Amino acid sequence: MTFRKASASTYILVSLLIVAAIGLLTGLHAGLVRLGFLAGTASAISPMAHGPLMVNGFLGTLIGLERAAALEKMWAYMAPVLLGISTILVLSGFMVPAKLLFIAGSFFLLAIMLYLYNMQPVAHHLIMALGAAALLVGNILFLFDPPIFNLVAWWAGFPLLTIFGERLELNRIMRPPKRAQHLFVALIVIWIAATAFSHINRPIGWAGASVSLIAQAGWLFKYDVARRTIRSVEWTRYSAISLLTGYGWLVLAGLFSLWQGFPTAGPMYDALLHMIFVGFVFSMIFAHASVIIPSLSGKLVPYHPYFYGPLLLLHGFLLIRVVGDLFWLPAIRKTGSYGNVAAILLFLGGILFFLLRDGLRKRRQFSMNQNKQA
Amino acid sequence: MNSKTPSIDRRRIVRQLRDVIDPELGVNIVDLGLVYNILSGDGKVIVEYTTTTPGCPMRRYLQQQIEEALSSIAAIEEYETKLVWEPDWTVDMIDREVEFFAHPPPRAQMS
Repeated sequence: MTFRKASASTYILVSLLIVAAIGLLTGLHAGLVRLGFLAGTASAISPMAHGPLMVNGFLGTLIGLERAAALEKMWAYMAPVLLGISTILVLSGFMVPAKLLFIAGSFFLLAIMLYLYNMQPVAHHLIMALGAAALLVGNILFLFDPPIFNLVAWWAGFPLLTIFGERLELNRIMRPPKRAQHLFVALIVIWIAATAFSHINRPIGWAGASVSLIAQAGWLFKYDVARRTIRSVEWTRYSAISLLTGYGWLVLAGLFSLWQGFPTAGPMYDALLHMIFVGFVFSMIFAHASVIIPSLSGKLVPYHPYFYGPLLLLHGFLLIRVVGDLFWLPAIRKTGSYGNVAAILLFLGGILFFLLRDGLRKRRQFSMNQNKQA
Repeated sequence: MNSKTPSIDRRRIVRQLRDVIDPELGVNIVDLGLVYNILSGDGKVIVEYTTTTPGCPMRRYLQQQIEEALSSIAAIEEYETKLVWEPDWTVDMIDREVEFFAHPPPRAQMS
């Protein structure tokens, strides 16, 4: 066994990964403040920072970092760097410069995706580029201070389309028929058109987007490799379970939208947004963590059944939260929300713990081997 | 795959590269068709490889793993990895016999 010295680029990647983690942690903190936790204390982050921090500070920085790591071009790092700096500006209360950096960061993210599309003009690159464009649109709208419910669909479009593109790319190994691939792209185009139309006619636009969302989830249930890999073991099985439950939340979010329309603030709004952002997006993050971490840090995360605990808590407490929202039970809603934060923290803590434990074991083994040789 | 000179056993290199597993697909990079060329001669080996897509963030991880595989072969004095984008990787490059996820993605080694 040899020990490889971390390169400068690894330090840059890990530093930016830490910035993304700060975006996540402070975004979660702002979410708790929104629910009344720590409100009024000096340490409280503005509750209004919850959405911008989660979408730009965390997801934007993380996804930008993944793409920059793939391209290994200096200019590509502008996306995660700018979005990372915007986190610090939000936390310092400089919202206008932060909003400008959100726009600049998402512009660079779009530039990366268009560069990739130019290299390989294929459907999955196009879908991911549309995801980056959705973030840019959301961030441009955010500059003009509209109510968040008027732009949040674009923010949601960013992780949704990015993940859809990634799944389409991976599922090439299942060799889905060309017609099925075209159908998936068509459904995404319909979702974008319907979301844009919702600025003109909210009920019709949102109903169209919801039907499209359900159909996209149905497509993923049918063609995603997760249906096969759920019979596998360890991370592969864990990932499949996370993917399929995430798709399940997408169907529920679509049905909920058809039933409730697009609510504007309040419990129904809370339920809908968190079905998408927690039920789907975080489930996808749990599913892909075993691949994201080594791609950025070069270290494999050892599998442990422990990780089923946070996954179960994530979905279980989201269910509780949605029930609290539906029946206007603030205490139940709060319980569910705290549980969601706990699930995410336990997952991250688990990743760190098992990575460190593995690193220490290897170091100890390495020292023992060195001593034996001496 | 080509080899210019037989000075280093190419089968040995391929065998070592079969230990490099793409964590996302649970298949080694040789059977996935990600290794385009192995050029060897005078103790030096150059491995030309690709990723399933240019946006794949696994490139650094795969490069590290390939380098570790090459460094484990005593006959290789010098090695180099080259990431190439031409031709575009397609699913048709995957070995027909491959069974996806037949074994779990690589574990972080405990020893």
